Amino acid sequence: MQRPRIPPQILRLLVLTIVIVTVYSIARYFLTPQSFGMYGWYRAVALDEIAARPTTYAGRKACDECHSEVVQRLAKYEHKSVSCESCHGVGQAHAENPDVAVAKLTYSHCVRCHEADPARPKWLKQVKSKEHYTGQRCTECHIPHQPNEVP
Amino acid sequence: MIMNPQLTNSIVEILPRVEGFAYPNEATTHPLWSVLIVVYPYVTGLVAGAFIMASLVRVFNVKPLEPVYRLSLLTSLAFLLCAPLPLLFHLGHPERCFEIMMTPHLSSPMAMFGFVYAWYLMAVLLLELWFDYRKDFVEWSKAEPGLRGIIYRSFTLGVHDVSDPAVQLDARMGRIISIIGIPSAFLLHGYVGFIFGSIKANPWWGNVLMPIIFIFSAIVSGMALCVFLYMILSWARRTPIDMDCLDQMQKFLFFALVVDAAIESLDWVHRLYSADESIHILKSLAAGRLFYTLLVGQAFCGTLLPLLLLGAIQLFGRQMAVAVRQRVYLASSVLILVGVLAMRWNVVIGGQLFSKSLRGFMDYKLEFAGHEGWLASLGLLLLPFMILAVFVKLFLPLSAPPQGGGLPAMKPSGSTGAA
Amino acid sequence: MKTTLTRRRILRALSGAVAGLLSLAASRKAKAAVQKMLVASHTPKGYDPTKHKWLMALDVERCIGCGLCVEACKTENNVPLGPNYFRTWIERYVITKPEPGSGELRGEVVVDSPNGGMHGFPSSLVPKEQILKSFYVPKLCNLCEHSPCSQVCPVGATFDTPDGAVLVDPKYCIGCGFCIQACPYGCRFMNPITKTAEKCSLCYHRITRGLKPACVEVCPTEARVFGDLKNQAPDDPIQRFLGKNKAAQSLKAHLGTGPRVLYADLDKEVR
Repeated sequence: MQRPRIPPQILRLLVLTIVIVTVYSIARYFLTPQSFGMYGWYRAVALDEIAARPTTYAGRKACDECHSEVVQRLAKYEHKSVSCESCHGVGQAHAENPDVAVAKLTYSHCVRCHEADPARPKWLKQVKSKEHYTGQRCTECHIPHQPNEVP
Repeated sequence: MIMNPQLTNSIVEILPRVEGFAYPNEATTHPLWSVLIVVYPYVTGLVAGAFIMASLVRVFNVKPLEPVYRLSLLTSLAFLLCAPLPLLFHLGHPERCFEIMMTPHLSSPMAMFGFVYAWYLMAVLLLELWFDYRKDFVEWSKAEPGLRGIIYRSFTLGVHDVSDPAVQLDARMGRIISIIGIPSAFLLHGYVGFIFGSIKANPWWGNVLMPIIFIFSAIVSGMALCVFLYMILSWARRTPIDMDCLDQMQKFLFFALVVDAAIESLDWVHRLYSADESIHILKSLAAGRLFYTLLVGQAFCGTLLPLLLLGAIQLFGRQMAVAVRQRVYLASSVLILVGVLAMRWNVVIGGQLFSKSLRGFMDYKLEFAGHEGWLASLGLLLLPFMILAVFVKLFLPLSAPPQGGGLPAMKPSGSTGAA
Repeated sequence: MKTTLTRRRILRALSGAVAGLLSLAASRKAKAAVQKMLVASHTPKGYDPTKHKWLMALDVERCIGCGLCVEACKTENNVPLGPNYFRTWIERYVITKPEPGSGELRGEVVVDSPNGGMHGFPSSLVPKEQILKSFYVPKLCNLCEHSPCSQVCPVGATFDTPDGAVLVDPKYCIGCGFCIQACPYGCRFMNPITKTAEKCSLCYHRITRGLKPACVEVCPTEARVFGDLKNQAPDDPIQRFLGKNKAAQSLKAHLGTGPRVLYADLDKEVR
């Protein structure tokens, strides 16, 4: 009986192709991460991993837990939009352990925002620190938590 | 010799600085995609071009080119084997490269690399070579003793059938694969062009013509490489150069160069005429930071000069002495090779020399050593030549006429050996 | 004849093995998928990414260029301190008056961002009398709807989350840099330590905990506004912003990336 015979070289290549495809499929099965493709073409656990990173800034609510008096006072004056951590620095470590001190305030904190600059909007109160009561500290005249009040 | 346009740049070591404004993240000291990524499209282009040269014999039956058929295929293979190396070297995490095959993101042109590459290597080049060489492998494995014999025997994959019908089948398969191979070669290099052409964020890259420009510059560079290698190999082996073959190669090279130059000019005409918001910065880029590589290297030395030289030969070649013609051919193929390398440089590095804010230029300091330095890229450019030397030693023995083994089956009477 | 028969047998055995392996793989995959769903149903702190849509908006008129946001971003996210690594930064635009009699609308546009504006800005080199207009523009990831960066990532290491952020998976990124090239806004950089791409994560670890992103938290003038479009709180800052700035623009909208971050009072020179 004469049946159609696959030429040997073609057969050899077919076998080789099957082997390669099989190896690839097996590799793909084992090397694709578990959560891949749950939401989209990525590892879904990456969302949890990124969300699990520690924070350094605690947020105003955390400050309010112990310093609510200051926070409420601040809310009545022009600096109400300024967050505690804008001036006092990162607070997560301090919130977890009050013994950890927050950063010391200096003169540079004031001029960082209030130094005169043509690019700054007109509504912002600005001074030329080189001409404005040189030799005196800002806090001698201004109270940062109540900037509208001048003693 | 090939590195010339790049060397001129590296000698002028400029401190990283920004002229005008760049987004802070852009003003890095080294381009994100460095010389390695210049080498990558260059090498891939040579692969595609050399393959097209071989296909002229197989598919289009250009008989005079038969002496370079196998050399072109082997060149293509040697360069293809090295093509992924620059990419791999440049990755921040090369150990994770398998992810590109395991979870390929289908919307990313780069994710297709693994598959396009595997297809081209295994389904096109290796197959075509295997079918072409099968009969020789069987014969050589019997004739050659020792290690060589073992190598040849392993390449037969255990198939020793060299009967007439089997050899005829080989020839038929080779031709079919070659026909599939032409669009595959276009795919391979068009895809590399698409990696750049699809970046709409960068006006220097994001361009529909980019894949086509890449394909034609690839064909031109690959053909020039075949000319160059054929002449060098013949001189090294002291075998006579088949002038018929060389003239024919130059003819195809000339026509490919004409098309390439036309498309690249069209690109510039279109950019200048449609003049979108990026045109000012691109004009100053071309006239400033890319002056030597773009206008001098790519346009003048790499395109215009060879066009004139080869055009002159097309017109008056028959009256010229063989020695003159050979020198002109060698010179123009070297010029083209340098010019296409300059073109890759202009695309890859040029696209990273200006800010995407279109407000300034970056300067880059390119290091000599280091894994993204000159030395590494030079090594990666030389590596395929070394591999090719081994291939030539193994697969292009002096004794056998360097000619496609399967060809007689297609037209048994017509084909003769090399000169 | 005999050899082909044995070959045939081998082939049959092989294909059988392949089929078996594939069906095994399929079954195990299905099982794993079910398991994943079960495990993922209690993600940390009951945060469900499909129930939120975060957005940031910027009021150019309110930015004073203090650089607190840039500094806070670097601290909060452990961003390398070098001058080319920013998840957010501030640009200063100075537009000069046209030459008298030139008939031009405006003079030169000078832009700078020394160290991303992290330590504020030195006074501009352009004298005040020559300035037509000057302002600061905070920049960050534009949270594109059709983000070109996630489109080009070859492995799926950067992606658009269901809640509107665009994140990088640092454990999966291969460091090819394609996303950095594809971002039209220069918002991405290669982290020199991890060798992976990095960008603004919208402080994903903060917003999932009910906090504001660090830059929004420290911004003293409320130039940065942040909120959830799916859960409108009463007196929501983002709703107030949208109500007040109906003509708010986005950056490089012509590229079709669908940038979601909105800018109020944006000058046409800003790119």
